[in-house]
Amino acid sequence: MSEDQPIIPGDHDKPEPGLTPEPAPDYREGDVIHTAPEFAVADADVLAPERGDMVGGTSLWRDSWRRLLRNKLAVFGLIVVVLVTLASLAGPYVIERLTGHAPDYIPPNAALIKSFPPFTNPEGSFSWTHPMGTDKQGRDLLGLVLQGGQISLMVGVISTLMSLIIGVSYGAIAGYLGGRIDNIMMRLVDVLYAVPYIVLVIVLLSMFKSQTARGQLILLFVALGAVSWLTMARIVRGQVLSLKNQEFVMAAKATGVSTPRIIFRHIVPNTLGPVIVYATLTIPTVMLTEAFLSYLGFGVQPPLASWGSLASEGIQNIAIFPWQLICPGVTMAVTLFALNFLGDGLRDALDPQTSRQ
Amino acid sequence: MLRFIIRRLIITIPTILVVISITWGLIRLAPGNFYTGEKAIPKAIETNIREQYGLDKPWYVQYGRTMGRILRLDFGTSLTYTGQSVNVIIGRSLPVSATIGILAYLLALGVGVTVGSIAALKQNSKWDYGSMALAMLGISIPNFVLGPILVLFFSMTLYWLPPSRWEGFASRNLILPVVTLSALYMAYIARLTRAGMLEVLRSDYIRTARAKGLSETQVLIRHALRGGLLPVVSFTGPALAFLLTGTVVVERLFVLPGLGNYFIQAAVNRDEPLILGIVAFIAITLLLMNLVVDIAYAYIDPRIRY
Repeated sequence: MSEDQPIIPGDHDKPEPGLTPEPAPDYREGDVIHTAPEFAVADADVLAPERGDMVGGTSLWRDSWRRLLRNKLAVFGLIVVVLVTLASLAGPYVIERLTGHAPDYIPPNAALIKSFPPFTNPEGSFSWTHPMGTDKQGRDLLGLVLQGGQISLMVGVISTLMSLIIGVSYGAIAGYLGGRIDNIMMRLVDVLYAVPYIVLVIVLLSMFKSQTARGQLILLFVALGAVSWLTMARIVRGQVLSLKNQEFVMAAKATGVSTPRIIFRHIVPNTLGPVIVYATLTIPTVMLTEAFLSYLGFGVQPPLASWGSLASEGIQNIAIFPWQLICPGVTMAVTLFALNFLGDGLRDALDPQTSRQ
Repeated sequence: MLRFIIRRLIITIPTILVVISITWGLIRLAPGNFYTGEKAIPKAIETNIREQYGLDKPWYVQYGRTMGRILRLDFGTSLTYTGQSVNVIIGRSLPVSATIGILAYLLALGVGVTVGSIAALKQNSKWDYGSMALAMLGISIPNFVLGPILVLFFSMTLYWLPPSRWEGFASRNLILPVVTLSALYMAYIARLTRAGMLEVLRSDYIRTARAKGLSETQVLIRHALRGGLLPVVSFTGPALAFLLTGTVVVERLFVLPGLGNYFIQAAVNRDEPLILGIVAFIAITLLLMNLVVDIAYAYIDPRIRY
């Protein structure tokens, strides 16, 4: 990391030269973080009226954060996402602590127990023990939904990360190398775009159906990640095309930095804005696809459960125990709703130029 | 234009072949075989089965034969629905899927464009926020959750509509599946229409149209909608893909004998000819429809030249 320091001209790192010196930067010395010029222009447009009270440079990220906080729906989305994530991570342990049983504990007299609606106990009166009721085996549904949240969120995040890694590398390499290689690589993306990938995913998951739940989960990550990187590659390529002829790249080239290093240390960090926005919007899409596959029986396998597989179990008893569908289904819908709003808000905040659309 | 169509067809055909080859490869690479089950079968029977289905030949011969048949659009005989050719199964189930899909798309188009235009015209009003929040909800609710909730409400509480089953093309049984399927598109189309209209309403030619004294309805219908709907037209391609996944769920939920249901059954049963047939059919349809959409796009938007 520090070996770069002597050879990289650092001027372009500083967002607004000439204004009062910034307080300690939140990145380490030697880290290469550039403010992309087109963002800088956009920032200037947005900030112009506020210049008076805004003495001192602001970074792209701090600016975007302020814009995000001004967007009520995005803040709502952020809060819901954080709450759901925390509840899914901590909830099962809290339940174990409070009740002394694992969240998916099956009561011993399960055969005698029928499912209880939310907030009722076996006697049929109000109680706090099962806020979401119980499933058909007498298990506490809240515990199951929180555990399922871990799996659903994990599928969403890991598959998105996979698509991020593939898409960013692919797009950056194609965009930077340009010419014939770029042409071939992007033609391939065009061809893959037209492929009905969901059909291939179903064939893959059903043919290679793993014997273990964990194996199936890994297969799911791979399958979902492998099919959702195309748009990411296009976005990154577009960004790279506009970045690669700028001075800081030329400077890096002139000082003899290797091509892979230029791509991944100098150019890719500058594409982060659109990448983050698109990744945030990919998470709900991937989670929906996971739920869809779990509903068809190709996704998450028991004993693991996701919101999708819980809801699809609930469908079987919809007439008698509707809460078994509604609780996991609504939890999922609310989370995706919040993620979508957060993604939209991030787009408006990070990329003011396209926010009008 | 002709050159564009020919060029697109030239990449479309290899794409279809690649999709079919990948599917074939996945089926063959997976451990086990379609005849392996819980019970071991005698060696002699296995040999006979392998001979019957040509599995004793080297893989490239099998691949060549399969592709040769598919190129002649003969998808073979199903393994699970014995004696029924895949073409017959597709011919029987396609009208079901197509009916639901087309009705859902038309419904989504009608409602989506109306709601999206109203939201754009009354930007930042209660209508705008309300309809856009509703659209976001439509995108966020999985259709297999929405469907049963609609059934619960309209069939099991109000007793208005039948909950499931196929009873012909013109029956009330279609209402719930079509609404369930169209919810997602409706939401997307409303959002796209709003975005497109907002962009267009700010443009110079709309100001000109107003300035020359056209009535507001004329401006909207003859000028704004045409430009504002471009994003909706280009969404048709992805919409077809969504339609595909959507019909799989809806057909399963409402027990409809459509293509999606057969496809899932085939995948579960490892019915190779049926899987390959349906995948090939879907790939061909999708790619050709995408081509049609691109051509239509050029007609609507005179700025586009291929």
